[in-house]
Amino acid sequence: MWAIIKKELKAYFTTPIGYIFIGVFLIAFSVSFYFTVIGYGNVNFEYIYYSLPTILVLAFIIPLLTMRSFSEERKTGTEQLLITSPLSLTKIVLGKFIAALIIVVITELCTLMYFGIICYFGMPHITTALATFLGFLLFCMAYISFGIFASSITENQIIAGIISIGFFIITWVFPDFNPSLDSFSFINMFYDYTQGQISIESTVTFVTFTIMCILLTLLFMQRRKSVK
Amino acid sequence: MNLKLKILWKCEKFVKNFTNREKNGMILGKFEKANLKGGVGVIQVKNVTKKYGKFVAVDNISFEVKDGEILGLLGPNGAGKSTTMNMITGYIEPTEGTIIVDDYDMSDKPKKAKRQIGYMPEGVPLYTDMTVKEFVTFMAEIKKVDKKNRRIKVGQIIEQTGLRDVQKKLIRNLSRGYKQRVSMAGALVGEPKVLILDEPTVGLDPKQITEIRSLIKELGKTHTIILSSHILSEVSQICQRVVIINKGKIVAEDTPENLETKVSSKNVVYVTVEDSENKITEVVKKIKDITNIKFIKENNDNTKQYLLESDKDVDLRKIVFQEFAKDNITIFELKKEDATLEDAFIKLIEGGN
Repeated sequence: MWAIIKKELKAYFTTPIGYIFIGVFLIAFSVSFYFTVIGYGNVNFEYIYYSLPTILVLAFIIPLLTMRSFSEERKTGTEQLLITSPLSLTKIVLGKFIAALIIVVITELCTLMYFGIICYFGMPHITTALATFLGFLLFCMAYISFGIFASSITENQIIAGIISIGFFIITWVFPDFNPSLDSFSFINMFYDYTQGQISIESTVTFVTFTIMCILLTLLFMQRRKSVK
Repeated sequence: MNLKLKILWKCEKFVKNFTNREKNGMILGKFEKANLKGGVGVIQVKNVTKKYGKFVAVDNISFEVKDGEILGLLGPNGAGKSTTMNMITGYIEPTEGTIIVDDYDMSDKPKKAKRQIGYMPEGVPLYTDMTVKEFVTFMAEIKKVDKKNRRIKVGQIIEQTGLRDVQKKLIRNLSRGYKQRVSMAGALVGEPKVLILDEPTVGLDPKQITEIRSLIKELGKTHTIILSSHILSEVSQICQRVVIINKGKIVAEDTPENLETKVSSKNVVYVTVEDSENKITEVVKKIKDITNIKFIKENNDNTKQYLLESDKDVDLRKIVFQEFAKDNITIFELKKEDATLEDAFIKLIEGGN
């Protein structure tokens, strides 16, 4: 599995995708930082994470991170190398998933410098900030797993990307259609963390959704083996 | 106290005996296994069928590959060669039937079975943004080569496939021939018993083809190889045995030489003569062995080419030479038609239809 993680990370940083993900997110983060901290004089770190620019940008860059994972392998045929190796399918899928997650962790670590600036000039609530870190990681984890699933069902990267973007936006605007769909909105679940509470309900939802997507990916890959 | 010691000593002895017996047994077991392998194929394909919906791509195929053998899978495009190979390597699963690689069933113990196989897929898929060395190392990692030996093994394989000069280049920038070699290196990593090469010489120039062929021959000394191709001369040069597949079914399975003799049933001779008085038909009538004569073409220098046929197994060339000389027919050219593997192939495939 480590071999796959290493290979994926290398691929993220030898192609522009890794830099684009981190760079674009940090730009959005800076915009949000400017408005909340400098504009309003607010030192709440969680408000920077939970803001329109960051979420909006995430809708497009998470799919960018995941859309090539399986579709490109299938298109170029390198999938054959992986599947005919002694590695199990589970390890291949988990390897790709963890590699994408590591990129998110790296991004979060980069945002620590903003946290440092805030700490220098003000007194942010540290435990809330930590809860936000965790929440953001879980939030991204759910969308990454869906992105990988989307990428495993199609040979075309663009289609995989569009499916993931569509899914992100739909789950974002769910509550606007009907308040009863509120509990389907991942953003609302993420909101709990930014309030400084690690809600068991949201955590379980994120984790189970991730597991479900990974299992679906495995199921589709396995099925393709017998159908293809 | 003494009694206790005695009991302990006895126990120890018993355990020692027991473990020794087990060891002996294991050695014997291994030995038996090794003996058995001489007869049973390294790869056994048993009644394998692959269906895509209603379309049957591979239809109840069975064959075996023996240890150290080079087997050629031959067939026109779309015959099911690649599908068969993909099933042997575990990339896709057969609808019915079993595939056994080195005593491991592909569907029961895929990890162990896949370890015995080095696969070079069709169209040479590679991670083009890696360097050659990175790629071979990656293949070594996913094939679980020991960490200690990895660097040495990778070095050896790069040397063996002649990639040392380009090992630091990106695969994307390599020529087709080198890419083929890199793919081959990827298959060789992890010391697999069986190499499966899907059309290894497609898209290469003649020099590269001969290079790859000699590399395959070299590897054949230490590996069992299955090779697919639609180039017949290649198969007859490299392979010891040929399996011809058409429309998902095995049409023939034999050595290249046997296949050639199988199809050369008629005794045919081509003769080019200078025959201004057109005496040839009369002369031919005199020779009893010739059953049929056919005019083929007239050349620019007023010579004519004919085809002579005989049912009997006699050398027509000798008789023709003697008889024609008597009647003042000058022979410019006289040649026997030799059946090639091409003929065998076409005949077998058309026979199947």
